Amino acid sequence: MIERTVTVVPEDGLHARPATKFVETVNEYDSEITVGTPDDGDDLVNAGSILAVTGLGIKTGESITIRAEGEDEQEAMSALESVLTTPETDEE
Amino acid sequence: MALNEDNPPLTTDLIALDGAPQNKEGVMEFLLDLAVDAGRVTDFDQALQDLQEREKQATTGVGMGIGIPHAKSAAVVQPTIAFTRVPEGIDFDAVDDEPATLIFLLLVPESGGEDHLEMLSSLSRSLVHEATREALLEAESPERVQEIVLEAVS
Repeated sequence: MIERTVTVVPEDGLHARPATKFVETVNEYDSEITVGTPDDGDDLVNAGSILAVTGLGIKTGESITIRAEGEDEQEAMSALESVLTTPETDEE
Repeated sequence: MALNEDNPPLTTDLIALDGAPQNKEGVMEFLLDLAVDAGRVTDFDQALQDLQEREKQATTGVGMGIGIPHAKSAAVVQPTIAFTRVPEGIDFDAVDDEPATLIFLLLVPESGGEDHLEMLSSLSRSLVHEATREALLEAESPERVQEIVLEAVS
């Protein structure tokens, strides 16, 4: 099991397109992935649900804790960190 | 977020327990009509356009049978939630491909800052719970729906 805390870079925070991209990435991996705010302790939610992820209400500049457990946990964690630390470049 | 209790985002005239069209576009327009009739939206076309722009970024079919189309729009007078349900379920381009049965339209004025995001995340947080979703599907009056939703977002 690995756990990281990452600062969310996309301007909208974990909403809309970044949230969708995050959840899609989670669902590409077999590992069990949960997320929460650093205050949530062990009370993490299913990272594969947009509703649950949006419900965290994480804004840009705030931190998110990601926990991954499974065969591909390293790959999953790297991919998720990259989603959260890449600013959105194609704003319309 | 701090909500004005005398002027809540959701009032019973913004709730339709049935009668919604059976498709995504239709339901969004149906809910927007409720918001216009309630005096919350001054320009139907502008608000619809803003909703569609947001929808293009990423679907608001967030899964678990929920659709939450939302937008910040200059055509909106005050933070507003409109609600309807479609027991048969409709295609809402949901991330989990599940048909949507509970549809919420969220609108905030252009000047609303991050209000819409806070309203969105409080509502999402409460809808993760199956008990909330079931209560909304089973509610027999707009008053009951209003009570459940306002409790979620306040």
